Amino acid sequence: MKDKVLAAPSDLDPLASKGPRLEDALSRRINADPESVERGLVQLVLTIVELLRQLMERQALRRIDIGTLSEEQVERLGTTFMELDRRMQELRDEFGLDEEDLNLDLGPLGRLL
Amino acid sequence: MIQLVAITDDQSAPAPPLRAVACDGLTAICAPADESRPDADSLWRHEELVEALMETRDLLPVRYGTLLADDAAVAQAVGGRSGQLAGQLERVRGAVEIAVRVADRASSPLSGQSAASGTDYMRLQAERVRIARVIHDELSTVARDSTTRPGPELMRGAYLVERGSVDDFVARVRRLQDASPGLDLICTGPWPPYSFADGEGS
Amino acid sequence: MSRIPDRETALVDLVDRLLGGGVVIAGDITLAVADVDLVYLSLRALVTSVATAEEKQLLPRMGSAL
Repeated sequence: MKDKVLAAPSDLDPLASKGPRLEDALSRRINADPESVERGLVQLVLTIVELLRQLMERQALRRIDIGTLSEEQVERLGTTFMELDRRMQELRDEFGLDEEDLNLDLGPLGRLL
Repeated sequence: MIQLVAITDDQSAPAPPLRAVACDGLTAICAPADESRPDADSLWRHEELVEALMETRDLLPVRYGTLLADDAAVAQAVGGRSGQLAGQLERVRGAVEIAVRVADRASSPLSGQSAASGTDYMRLQAERVRIARVIHDELSTVARDSTTRPGPELMRGAYLVERGSVDDFVARVRRLQDASPGLDLICTGPWPPYSFADGEGS
Repeated sequence: MSRIPDRETALVDLVDRLLGGGVVIAGDITLAVADVDLVYLSLRALVTSVATAEEKQLLPRMGSAL
């Protein structure tokens, strides 16, 4: 089949292009066996936490935009989100999941963003 | 079981092992169900099938793994939505989908790692959102339709582009890449119009 | 300069589309239903686990900053 890449930097950062672990992407679409159910649950829980994190961050950015937050609140929010981001990375590392693994299709929930 | 592969209003017969099932003015293109555990190769093979179909017809690709019992079930499922599906088909007529993902380069000053304070972090996030919007808006001006898909990147966009305008679109992506040294713009395609196929719930 | 195989680069977009795009028609093997069931089940697990995680200080308390 023809090459599907139309344009990309020649020194593409490998992390940027890392594909989903196909096993994970597919295990939630096909009747999962008991062993992968637990893994799938962790994946799902972290996906939802990540979704909530993004929702909250976006809402905070909107409030900063319209000026309803004090400097102190912005600082506190930013620190919290940084901490949350750092913590999410740790959790992902702990469970051997990368960012694309937490990009599950949550159907109507996923469209909140 | 039958796998539903694509929906079209083209009347020409697909090449075996594909079959056409008539559904109230539309044609459902089906394949024998492959119930073995799929891997990257089988996904690519499926994609090749759809793209071969697309070379000579406009179509709506169906989500992978859609299995139905038999022709009657296919005719009922597709026929039941024929009005809405015909409308979607019209919206993608003569066009293909191009994917563009925008990611921070690790070294980029915009990546979250370099935030010195909470306020700095929020400022960086706001800038990232702004840049994603600028790039998406720019590319949308040369597409018939566009949407963003959720993903870990700064932006994950899908663009419905006229079949004859793909090169122009890619040139636009390259110019944006040249203007954005801190970012990786990854452009792939042409794809069948997966992101513009289902009006329901989009 | 090593070049990432183009197939790997495009795989992200392929899987995203095949599994997350296209016309959605409920079939006899309704994969979507299985996913939704899992979501409802796990939302409860999520709420519990987030509360527990906050208590154990594994997650910063999210409420106070907003």
